Amino acid sequence: MKLTIPFYLHKVGAGFPSPATDYIEDDLDLNTHLISNAPATFIIRVQGKSMRDVGIYDGDLLIVDKSINPKSFSTVIANVNEELVVKTFIKEKEISYLTSGSKNTIDKINLGENQEVIIWGVVTYVIHKLQ
Amino acid sequence: MSYTSYSKKKNNIALIDCNSFYVSCERLFNPKIINKPVVVLSNNDGCVISRSVEAKKIGIKMGEPYFKVKDLVKKNDIHIFSSNYALYGDISRRVMKIIKEFSDKIEIYSIDEAFINLSFVENQRLNEYGKEIRERILKWTGVPTSIGIANTKTLSKVANYLAKKNKSGVIVLDKDKDIDEELKKFNVSNIWGVGKQLSKLYIKNDIDTAYKLKNISNTWVKRNTNVLGARTVMELRGISCINLETTESKRKSCCVSRSFGKKVENVEKLKESITTHCLSAAEKIRGDNQVARSVTVSIRTSPFDRYREYYSNSITIDLPVGTNNSIELIKAAIEGLKIIYKYGFFYQKSGITLSNLKDARNEEFNLLAPLLETKSKSLMRAIDKTNAKYGRSSISIAQAGINNSWKMRRKHFSKIDTSSFANLPMLKV
Repeated sequence: MKLTIPFYLHKVGAGFPSPATDYIEDDLDLNTHLISNAPATFIIRVQGKSMRDVGIYDGDLLIVDKSINPKSFSTVIANVNEELVVKTFIKEKEISYLTSGSKNTIDKINLGENQEVIIWGVVTYVIHKLQ
Repeated sequence: MSYTSYSKKKNNIALIDCNSFYVSCERLFNPKIINKPVVVLSNNDGCVISRSVEAKKIGIKMGEPYFKVKDLVKKNDIHIFSSNYALYGDISRRVMKIIKEFSDKIEIYSIDEAFINLSFVENQRLNEYGKEIRERILKWTGVPTSIGIANTKTLSKVANYLAKKNKSGVIVLDKDKDIDEELKKFNVSNIWGVGKQLSKLYIKNDIDTAYKLKNISNTWVKRNTNVLGARTVMELRGISCINLETTESKRKSCCVSRSFGKKVENVEKLKESITTHCLSAAEKIRGDNQVARSVTVSIRTSPFDRYREYYSNSITIDLPVGTNNSIELIKAAIEGLKIIYKYGFFYQKSGITLSNLKDARNEEFNLLAPLLETKSKSLMRAIDKTNAKYGRSSISIAQAGINNSWKMRRKHFSKIDTSSFANLPMLKV
């Protein structure tokens, strides 16, 4: 993962500097927008259709931050039965559990004491190609 | 006589070492192999170079050739992986970045080890600080580490050795009494910097533990060892003699060599391999903004083949101007290959070394081809960018061949590359 270093575009030359110089500082950098903690952030490609409810489609890229802790209704990557899966994390008072999709709360997986072990990372963005 | 009473300037060094690093990287996206025996093989699936704790318990030894452990692997359902250096390199860079957040005085000692200076941390907080580092690396990258903290690099290595066996993963050796107790149990041959020859000499003189070495007389050390030996003794006494090498020194040469999956007789196939090696070495030095003044080509047959004659040769070509242009480097290397290639041999390995490396910015102005240079520079940049985006070797040059039968064996390759969009980890939902 590469983060580009911002650079200044304005060249020093003769004449009065462009009035826009104060406002143009660098190119928009999607890395800094999408990734707040580079060493802990991984990009994972999704295969399959079961997460359409939460807005994750086949072929999408997930930006996953391993350093943050999930809030209720966070989309997370979890290690369930020795497999990495995408789930919705829900916390109700003292109990936290995982479900698939935000509306379907039937297939609860209780986390109990094992939250740290089971939660692999928190999905912060989905990159979805429209055309 | 004891030498522990030297007045010591406070100096705390931590050695952070990733546990079974390559195995830990493979486990990151593959929970099925957590808590199971796992082994990673060297290039060309040659030898064991990383083992999980479970594999160690089964009796897999470090460095053992794969064919020797095949039976054990089958019998015990050990998971085997070919090495995936693109993945390990990316995870290593992440680990080092995290460590730097804890101390900017860092010496990256290898792909999975770093020394840092922690003199700014109060002694009673060292353990807690070490645990914080360990937990952060584990949470952010999934890689478990062991951390040893002490007054000198040599003692931090001892502490690290103990940390590997300790559940918490962090050991601070800062009290003379504790240090001595541990050094009494510590085999002299396991001390950092004590090689085979030196440990033979020590053991012959009944210096079999680190404690005995620490308390040896200065005259004996001077008479029987060299400067390095004397330094180790001082470091065991808690007097820091080996500084952190914090300035990232750029490499002086860059070597790429591979054994072939199948023996190669044809010169065209050798050309392909040399070209491919040049491409990856050139990309590496471009990444460091360096140019090479010399290219060395080497080829050899198998030294273990009892039925065929052995042949090994190499040649160094000096370049008129330093360059990191793949095409220029390949041209020179192929010329070299033509000189040393002998018909009728079955080659097992080829390699190239770019040496006499210089900072590209300091390379004197090339009178001959300033225009050509900028043109090829942007070509090289385009190649590097495309390969970063679409996976290694998406753009190559025709000479490298397309279907490389000589390419290395990677039967158990995990294919994941966290730093290339072409091979990102996949998740089925």
